[in-house]
Formats: sequence, structure tokens, C-alpha cells
Amino acid sequence: MCCEDYKLQIGRFLDNELTPDVRADVTEHLQTCSACNLELESLQELTLGISDSSEVSVPSDLWDSIECRLGADADRSAKRAVMNYRPFRTRRWALAASLVFVVGLGMLGVSLMDNSAEASTINFSVLLDGLPLDAQKAFRKFLTLYDAQPGSPPDAKKFASSLDFETPPTLPGGFHLDSVYLLQFGDNPGVAASYIRGDEFLATIFHAPVTNENFGTHKDYDCVVGKHHGHKVKVGSWKMVHLTDPTTCHCVLSQLDEASELPAVMAAVAPRASTANVHGHGG
Amino acid sequence: MSRFSEQDMIEGCRRGDPEAQRNLFEHTSGNVFRLLFRMTGSKDDAFDLSQETYLKGFAQIEKFEGRSSIATWLYRIAVNEALQFLRRAETARLKLEKCAKGSNNGKCPIETTNVRLDVQAALARVDASDRAVLLLRYQDGLDYRAIADILGSAEGTVASRLNRARDRLRENLRKSYGLREESDPVVHPKSSR
Repeated sequence: MCCEDYKLQIGRFLDNELTPDVRADVTEHLQTCSACNLELESLQELTLGISDSSEVSVPSDLWDSIECRLGADADRSAKRAVMNYRPFRTRRWALAASLVFVVGLGMLGVSLMDNSAEASTINFSVLLDGLPLDAQKAFRKFLTLYDAQPGSPPDAKKFASSLDFETPPTLPGGFHLDSVYLLQFGDNPGVAASYIRGDEFLATIFHAPVTNENFGTHKDYDCVVGKHHGHKVKVGSWKMVHLTDPTTCHCVLSQLDEASELPAVMAAVAPRASTANVHGHGG
Repeated sequence: MSRFSEQDMIEGCRRGDPEAQRNLFEHTSGNVFRLLFRMTGSKDDAFDLSQETYLKGFAQIEKFEGRSSIATWLYRIAVNEALQFLRRAETARLKLEKCAKGSNNGKCPIETTNVRLDVQAALARVDASDRAVLLLRYQDGLDYRAIADILGSAEGTVASRLNRARDRLRENLRKSYGLREESDPVVHPKSSR
């Protein structure tokens, strides 16, 4: 074996993953080769640096949160089982498997009694509730709820070809496109995008018109953005403004001023949106 | 965790026994949470991902076939959750990079020791999949077989992934030092023996 061959074995040597024969061979080589010894020392130092001896304690409320969600799952499962007149399943995996579906519907704000409403409601409350604490985290939770997958602007156009929207690389006011996501609202595709301006965050969400948007405890008001009639929900300094045309609901989440900055942004992401007063959310 | 008690725990979890679930959590959550924290650089994200890991673990416990330890099996779920999360949001890398630049008020998971500080900062900049394999081996001390189980790959693949990840980590360190004389690769003679 040449020195380069030994070099390839040094990682395994360090990790104690060599057979005894090969290990003995490498050990013998190390006794005479200063270059391989340096390589070994370098790797030892590197890998020692990876292990972090500082204490990372498990948050005391982590189990409580898990237990709470386990309990909530079980409750929902029971309701679903009763409504469907099916025998109650006691096996945890079966409960959880069926509950993933039920919880999903529950989070979508869909009545357990109304199966026809599956794709006709969008739950914005998970996003709105989290805005005061951490808007970006709240946005991520919303994305997770709707099985978001990262994509590019062309991906988004192709994925949601029935929607009319734009995800330009920049927005008026100096916002830069950060990420684009492909979402699934029931059977319908949706798109979301995040923009950054310094530390400032802005998000857009596009979806097909639905019969109901769930804003939780937050009030929804009519508003006018530029020439467009729409509606908005305000949470602290955050505003979620929605403009809807026959094909697409265009939603912009930002802290922008409605009169000065927002109209240009809305025009950039919804350039063909109707000026008609069409809410479309019907909620 | 003895084999017997582990088996008890697994059986209990399969029955949906809350005490067994709690027991499994207590035995494994330290390592799971620490791994997720080191992967994401955020205690909040590690908290959320730990929840998902255990909920998924309890929900899918029927799929556990006992070919690895239950802890390794949970690790696999945790690593997948972390990689998926990092792919989706791509925010952890930014947080860790900020952390490496010392701009988040000491809230980063980096020790103050110089060498470790450098390595930890460099670790924050490697790909999430490289970070996962390095943490599983050098933070948690898992052998190649366990890592292969967790990552769903062959042991030989783990070895080559570790080689590649170490090289990339070293390259990151080299960039951050900017000192060629300290970080030039070791020059090997063409052959020996």
C-alpha cells in the first residue's frame, strides 16, 4: 500500500472501524511515516472539536407538549371513530395514523361533520397567531401545515398553472426574493414566497378562491389597496392583505404602510388582479 | 437501558401505554434533543422537531422491527425531521452563520475554547447532511453500522461520506483561518514501505 492508500484508511483508523489486520498494518505504517502521523493528529483535533461537551438540557416542558398532542390526537380520534360508526381502535399507531388525517382537517378548520368542505377552507389562524412572537416562524408553521416544498419561480408557475400570480426576484421598496414554496390546499395547488429587506420580512401566499378563510380570533376588515378592493387582518404591526380575482386569492403579509408602499408591492405580485370588489372568501 | 427494559418499553409503546412512552422519552430525549439542537442551532426548532420525532415514533412504532436499538431508530426519525426541516426553511444555516460571526449575543451552541469555537463555526457552514454524519459519529460516538442504519445507507457509504464531510469541514476551517501555512494539506510521500 502506498502512502495515499494509508491516508484513506486513517479516517477509519481514527474511528476504530478497521479490521484487526488492516489496523495493525496502519499502526505499523504510522510508526515510520510522519506525514500520515500529521494527518492523524489533524483529524483527531478536527473531530475532537466537533464533540461539544457543553450541556444541552432537554426543556422541562417538552414532554408535556408531546403528551398534550398525544392526548389531543386521541380525543380527535375518538370523535372521528364515533362519527364514522367504526369500532374504536386502541392501537396507538392506528390511532395516530387515522388522526394525522383528522388533525389535518381540524387544523384546516373543517367540521368533522362536513366532509365536503375538505379543500374549501384555508387556516390562516396558525400564521396570524404566531405573528407577534416570530413572524418567520409562524410562516414556516403555515408552510408545514400545507406540505410546502421548496421550488423556483418557474416551478411555482408550472405547479400552480391555474393561478395568476408573480414571484418577481425583487419587489418595489427593495425586497429580495428569499424562497418560493409549492403548497397543497386540499386538492388545489398553492404558492408562497418569502422576501427580505434587511431584517424586514414579507410573505406572499396565492391560492384558488375558497368558500372560507379561517382567521381564528382575528377580525377581517374590508380595505382598499391602490385601486383594488380587498380585505385585511391586522395583528399588531402586521397586516395580511388579500385581493381576490376569479382565479386567484393574492395575499401579502407585511408591515408595510397600506397607502404608500403596499399598493406597488401588491401590483407586482398580482399585476392582473381585477379591480372589481371580489372577496371570494365567503367566510 | 437493559435489553429487557428496552423490550418492555417497546411493547408498552406498541400498546400505547403512556408510562412506556414517557420512559422511552426519558431514556432517549437527551441525545435526540442535543442532536436536533446541534443540527438546527436553535432550541426552539429543536423543541418543535423533538415533538415531531416522538409523535412520529409513537405513531410508527409498529414499523420498528428491532434490527437496531430503539434509540437508533428514533435517531433516524430525528435526522430525517431535521434534514427535511433544513431543506424546507434553510434558515438554520443562516442562524448558525450569524452565530459563527458572533452576532447573536452568545446564544449559539459554541464553546469558548478556540479550536472548538473554530470547528463549531465551520461545522455550522457545512451541508446539513455532512453535519448530520459528523455529529452522529463524533458528537454521539455511533459506529458506522448504527450511522448506516440511521441514514439508510451502506457502511461503506458512511465511511466515504465521513471522509468527504471531514474534508469539507477542514476546507471550511482553512477558509476561516485564512492561514495557508497552518492548514495546507499534509504532503505525503509517493509511497512507503
